[in-house]
Amino acid sequence: MQKELSVSRGEKRQNSVLIFLLFIAVLAVIACIVDFLTDGMFLEAKNAQVMISNSIYPTFIAWGLCFLFACGYTDLSLGGVVILGSFASCAFGNAFGYPGVILGGLVVGTLLVFINFNIFAFTKIPSWIASISLAMIYEALAVFLRANSATKKFIDVELSRDFRALGQFPVNLILLAACFVIVYFVYNRMSIGLNIQAIGGNKAVSKSLGVNIPKTLLLVGLICGLLIGASAVIQESYNVKTTALSGLASIQFIFKPLAIALLAQILQRWINIILVVPFCSLVIYAVFNVMTFFGIPSGTLQDVCLCIFLIVFGIIGQRGVKEVVK
Amino acid sequence: MSTPILEIRRLNKHFGPTYANKNIDFTLKKGEIRGLIGENGSGKSTLISQIAGVQSPDSGEMLVDGKPYSPHSPIDAYDHKISMVLQELGVVGNLPVAANVFLGRTKQFTKYGILNKKKMNRAVAEQFEKWDLPMPPHGKQIGSMMIETRKLIELVRALSVDPDIILLDEITQSLSLNNREKLYELLKRLKDMGRSAILITHDVEEMIEITDTITVLRDGAVVGNLVSAETTPDEIKRMMVGREIEGDLYRSDQSASFDDEVVLSVKNMSVEGELEDITFDVHAGEILGFCGLSDSGIHSVGRAVYGLSKATPDSVYLKAKNLYIKNSTQALKNNVGYVPKDRDTEAMMISDSIRENFTMPSMNELTGPVGFVSPGEMKKLAREMVGKLSVKCESISQQVNALSGGNKQKINLGRWLAKDLKLLILDCPTRGVDVGVKAYIYTLMIEAKKNKIATILISDELPEVLGMADRLIVMKDGKMTGMLKRDEEFTEQAIIGVMI
Repeated sequence: MQKELSVSRGEKRQNSVLIFLLFIAVLAVIACIVDFLTDGMFLEAKNAQVMISNSIYPTFIAWGLCFLFACGYTDLSLGGVVILGSFASCAFGNAFGYPGVILGGLVVGTLLVFINFNIFAFTKIPSWIASISLAMIYEALAVFLRANSATKKFIDVELSRDFRALGQFPVNLILLAACFVIVYFVYNRMSIGLNIQAIGGNKAVSKSLGVNIPKTLLLVGLICGLLIGASAVIQESYNVKTTALSGLASIQFIFKPLAIALLAQILQRWINIILVVPFCSLVIYAVFNVMTFFGIPSGTLQDVCLCIFLIVFGIIGQRGVKEVVK
Repeated sequence: MSTPILEIRRLNKHFGPTYANKNIDFTLKKGEIRGLIGENGSGKSTLISQIAGVQSPDSGEMLVDGKPYSPHSPIDAYDHKISMVLQELGVVGNLPVAANVFLGRTKQFTKYGILNKKKMNRAVAEQFEKWDLPMPPHGKQIGSMMIETRKLIELVRALSVDPDIILLDEITQSLSLNNREKLYELLKRLKDMGRSAILITHDVEEMIEITDTITVLRDGAVVGNLVSAETTPDEIKRMMVGREIEGDLYRSDQSASFDDEVVLSVKNMSVEGELEDITFDVHAGEILGFCGLSDSGIHSVGRAVYGLSKATPDSVYLKAKNLYIKNSTQALKNNVGYVPKDRDTEAMMISDSIRENFTMPSMNELTGPVGFVSPGEMKKLAREMVGKLSVKCESISQQVNALSGGNKQKINLGRWLAKDLKLLILDCPTRGVDVGVKAYIYTLMIEAKKNKIATILISDELPEVLGMADRLIVMKDGKMTGMLKRDEEFTEQAIIGVMI
């Protein structure tokens, strides 16, 4: 039986690699066709670079969402957290250089998401309700910081040209690769990853079997916070200035990452979710890039397409999902 | 088998005004297999869940190896080498087998924070091999597996802590014949190793056969401790219900009897990976039984006929209504009822009230012309059914998850009998119910037969299908291997011959 087991494991791994290679091959073929249709503009080095750079910071948010979804939570305030993290990255970056850029975003991102998870874990308010309230608080705070004369001068400015490398190609790609290794191990190869997935599957059983639910949730908050903080750092380094949003408009920050995470959830039946997220991110941004090439207006029709993607991915992702078993 | 390993002294537990356990006293010795038996709601599961640390007693004490034992969680129980397969516990559906077996105990496979999955998978395979149990598909999420496989995984989880005492709450009724035999062997091995077990089952004969001693509970109190070899099923039944239970539970006639009218005609029905080329007719007033070993596909037949799985198009013909069943909504609307095996997950809305659960399948009938559902009518139906089926409850507003297994099953089955059915599909209808409720369910089935309802009875219990069916289809590996008709040769031996 031992032999059979190792054979089936070997076959499974081989199949996963084959499926992954097939997935990449399909993407490459589609990219070539699109390139042909756009007279070679799609795969032009500059355009490819822009697509990759655009897709990196949402990848971090999508990874964060994967952790959230795995343990059965939703956080709609992440957009607000990214805005505040970007402000901190900009303000501290301009004051202290790269340490300020990195620590500013990471600390604020981690702190705020950690606060969110404390609220989810201890108040037992449904996370989507609590996070909408938190989103409004974070937006209000961002607007206040932007409007206040004492803080405006630090925030309403661009990040200095000397400290933008983290958002530029290929540094951003190297950062992505390094973070991928860490995130992959945490999610797939550490007890915390297993516990997170167990909580999402059946909280009561997990608790009975010795999984420390509050501790695990706080650790998810920490991991997710670090990812959102990293996203804020890269976003600020790439876009150089972030605008404060109000009236829950910050939620649009997580729309594309949400589509990415949902697409990754569909594909996780064949390819590891953490591995597939960066590719899904690239696919989503490539689709928008192509739409721009074809003259589909952004802000209206493109947003409609995004919402349709979200719904379609959501529907496919839920197909065949069984309820928790006891 | 003389040294006590677990002593329970004057244990009390009550929920509101109801005593679940009253002054419970008993001693479990090393190498002893003890059965706990009683009617549904007699306090067996409450008692065992206190030993497992799922619930805490209100008063009394427990001693393990002579030392005070007061577990606050199943983890505490594990630390005292007490493990369990309980109704309250379950599996995490989105995780694979190994993760479920070792969840909460993964430190042994972790080095520098990294989980060695290979080592964990090897360990779980060793456990299945050690206890001679069939290893489920390795990397698959276990939520998609059959209830039997999930129970076996729970069993291996319990065994993997190398327990001195193992608590098994109604596990045998989730298992098919072959795996049940394996469980009996396993209990013998545990006994030979000097380990002890407490077992709950509603099968009195089975309990006598596999246990050394039996504790009978009634209304939360111990009414007797018996030596298995010296007692009889009748004595146990009498102690359980407090009166004599006479006669056979099953129907008394020895020949098949049903109308010529075909209610359902299934032709060449296949479900990918589950069923192949299934063909049969069910007649008005007939009870058609299905039996087979594990993975024989009998449970998939019920799901496919009711339109819950993707069967061959136009293979399930409801002749009584002149239509092909394509999905469950259509089946429900056309007077077909289905009682699934996995009651808590697939049948009941366990967080909702008795009223909602009783009335849900009858919503079409209760809905007025403009879509208004009369709360009064709902209450009336629920009250009528609670009275008719003698459901033990505080009121029809009580949540279903607070009821005992037998009372849940009364609702699960009874709500279909409130409808004017043409076809009723029953998948293990007596799973987890006591002898009293069992007898009542058989009475309901005989009544349904008299009312010309066609019944498909799927069961892991051979005596049940033998006792109730007019015809019996035996299955193996998703295919039909034989069909027998009720007559003098309708015996277990004949069926097992076809089955194997």
